[in-house]
Amino acid sequence: MESMIFDMAERLFRDHVSHGLREDAAAGQCPEALWTRIEEAGLHMALVPEEAGGFGVPAAEALGLVRIAGAHGLPLPLAETLIANAVLARAGLALSGGRLTIAEGEVLQLERRGGAVHARGHLTLVPFARWADRIVTIAALDGADHVLSLPVKDLTVTPAQDLAGMPRDDVAVDLDLPGANAAALPGSMGGMRGLGALVRSLATAGAMETILKMSVEYANDRVQFGRPIGKFQAIQQYLATMAGETAASRTAAEMAADSYDTAAFALTVAAAKSSAGEAAETVGALAHQVHGAIGYTQEHALHHFTKRIWSWRDEFGTELDWTQELGRAALSSPHDTFWHFITDSTAQGATA
Amino acid sequence: MTLTAFPSPPPGADYDDLRQEVRAFLAEELADFPPEKRAESWNGFSRDFSRKLAQRGWVGMTFPKEYGGHARSALERYVVSEELLAAGAPVISHWIADRQSGPLILAKGTEDQKRAIVPRIAAGELCFCIGMSEPDSGSDLAATRTVATEVEGGFRVNGTKVWTTYAHVADYMILFCRTGKSDDRHGGMSQFLIDLKATENIQISPIIDLGGEHHFNQVVFDNTFLPSDALLGEQGEGWSQVMSELAFERSGPERFLSSFALIEELIRLLRKDATEAQQAEIGRLSAHLMVLRQMSRSVAGMLNEGKNPALQAAIVKDLGALYEQDIPRLARSLLSRPAVPGGRDSYAAVLAYTELAVPSFSLRGGTREILRGIIARGLGLR
Ligand SMILES: Cc1cc2nc3c(=O)[nH]c(=O)nc-3n(C[C@H](O)[C@H](O)[C@H](O)COP(=O)(O)OP(=O)(O)OC[C@H]3O[C@@H](n4cnc5c(N)ncnc54)[C@H](O)[C@@H]3O)c2cc1C
Repeated sequence: MESMIFDMAERLFRDHVSHGLREDAAAGQCPEALWTRIEEAGLHMALVPEEAGGFGVPAAEALGLVRIAGAHGLPLPLAETLIANAVLARAGLALSGGRLTIAEGEVLQLERRGGAVHARGHLTLVPFARWADRIVTIAALDGADHVLSLPVKDLTVTPAQDLAGMPRDDVAVDLDLPGANAAALPGSMGGMRGLGALVRSLATAGAMETILKMSVEYANDRVQFGRPIGKFQAIQQYLATMAGETAASRTAAEMAADSYDTAAFALTVAAAKSSAGEAAETVGALAHQVHGAIGYTQEHALHHFTKRIWSWRDEFGTELDWTQELGRAALSSPHDTFWHFITDSTAQGATA
Repeated sequence: MTLTAFPSPPPGADYDDLRQEVRAFLAEELADFPPEKRAESWNGFSRDFSRKLAQRGWVGMTFPKEYGGHARSALERYVVSEELLAAGAPVISHWIADRQSGPLILAKGTEDQKRAIVPRIAAGELCFCIGMSEPDSGSDLAATRTVATEVEGGFRVNGTKVWTTYAHVADYMILFCRTGKSDDRHGGMSQFLIDLKATENIQISPIIDLGGEHHFNQVVFDNTFLPSDALLGEQGEGWSQVMSELAFERSGPERFLSSFALIEELIRLLRKDATEAQQAEIGRLSAHLMVLRQMSRSVAGMLNEGKNPALQAAIVKDLGALYEQDIPRLARSLLSRPAVPGGRDSYAAVLAYTELAVPSFSLRGGTREILRGIIARGLGLR
């Protein structure tokens, strides 16, 4: 994935996402200037197909941006905007620009009122809602998935945050949406939960790579008993365990990204999100063990990453939600054997 | 951080037609093969089965055609391997030769060695064993003591190998031993290709494992004469040759599917009515399987491109062993149903077999601790 867009994002985040910027964001300050740079680079449009105004980057590559953003602890809704724009484009709705976010819309009550769709309900833990122009969500209307584009200015937003201090707001919805802001969602994208789970899995993998890197560097630098702690076998075994978990999560997330918008996605994303959540537990705990007390401070950068991966476990389906879904599918599958279920339903060109 | 990057297998890696052919073959060949035999996984031995498989072109798949192979990709071989393991087919008779000895001979052997041996591996006729471990040299392979001394026309070998899987039936051994002195701990080692059926003064005696089974052996070399042409590769280059085999040895589907028969039994019993907690555990097991398989296929893709993904292979083996070792615990947490060795209830028999098999999974092929040491070094710990 050594593409142009990848390099551009890597450079942009490396130069601009500092510890200070993450601290300020956690204190409630939206990094506006950085967002402007992201828009100027066009990163927010990467998942939009070429015919809808994107620039024709393969989906798996565009989604790779989310992993990089995770690796830098980017405190902005880039992942959310990528998905929102892709979903809007699929439904044929206008791409209005600006910061967008996503929410699981199943809790909303929809009904047709004249030419409009009335939406009512309460969204919780909406990422970055107070920094966003619109919330894009998917909800059922007349038994079919519909995309709604909700202007934040017409909603009631009550601030709340996740463990890392990132906005995860409560949003009360009660409004009429004209046809320009509500349309059927064709194709196999599924609901917002799966798409949200995909980006959280990718971001978790990226953040864990950073956590691992920080831990290896720390183990090489910190000296106790006259040698770097990385010379101690117990520490080496921790770091190797972290590497295995990180590699598995990244593989899982990329497997889901590879099957974005195909029939295999339902299962691969379940595997990705549950693996990411489980790994977050292990990797976070071991990273803090390796870092000792300094890693337990506000001053040290580690917590921005560990708190993010812990928070992301609870969004867009927990490990329990996703493993139950996957287990139900496995146990009720019409395949002769469990093996056939696994191989056939994750193959490229699999039918649901 | 390339160590944590496992590139996706290339598009088309599913080889669905090939997969269906293998499934049809297995459905017929293993129609009466009971779950407790399937539980033996890749430890199951049948020359007959290996030969039939070879007749279909599924042994030595990646070997060049001029040596009886089929010039197919590592990913096609992967499809066949995983289908065999998932079905619990008895594959050990050709497995080691197909996986690592054949590729080693092709890479390092002389033209005569290649012509004499490789076509017979591809025909499913030859069983190979690996002579590395010794009583005082397990994880520390460089501590090997067995020594081959140059004599007129060849070498004389003295020493003892242990844990040599299937040496008692194998046709060939690839022996790792000392051939000279060296200041470098890893120098002065070589590999030999030994025709076990035609070589005198090799004593092979059984070591019975804790399950009461005879899989591995002690092999004693008592002034054993090997002709010069038994040397495999360069004299003194044994260490690097052995290291290059490891990516093949450590990354395949046999590193996470060894308990698969128990998984199938468990799921068969849970299908009718599973609680939500049981569903979640099966989901977790499915998720880990999907991920391990993707990682392992990724390594096959890297091998196919001629890379040496030894570190990624160590990660696959470490995670894979944890996975396959955890299956009996998981089964016991979901079903209250005792293990009975050789029991008539197939779940009970498979559980019993698997419980006794799992301790070896994080020993054979490199212990967990050693693998993690390799991974740690790969991370750049100074
Ligand atoms: C079923 C089975 C089949 C086998 N088949 C073969 C075969 O066909 N051919 C063959 O050559 N060998 C075979 N082996 C042997 C296998 O390769 C060895 O068991 C393995 O390399 C470990 O060596 P060991 O048993 O002597 O244990 P040891 O090396 O003595 O290790 C004992 C314990 O100490 C730990 N330890 C050792 N060194 C370190 C270290 N530096 N740091 C931290 N911990 C350490 C180990 O991880 C382990 O936990 C087989 C083994 C089994 C169980």
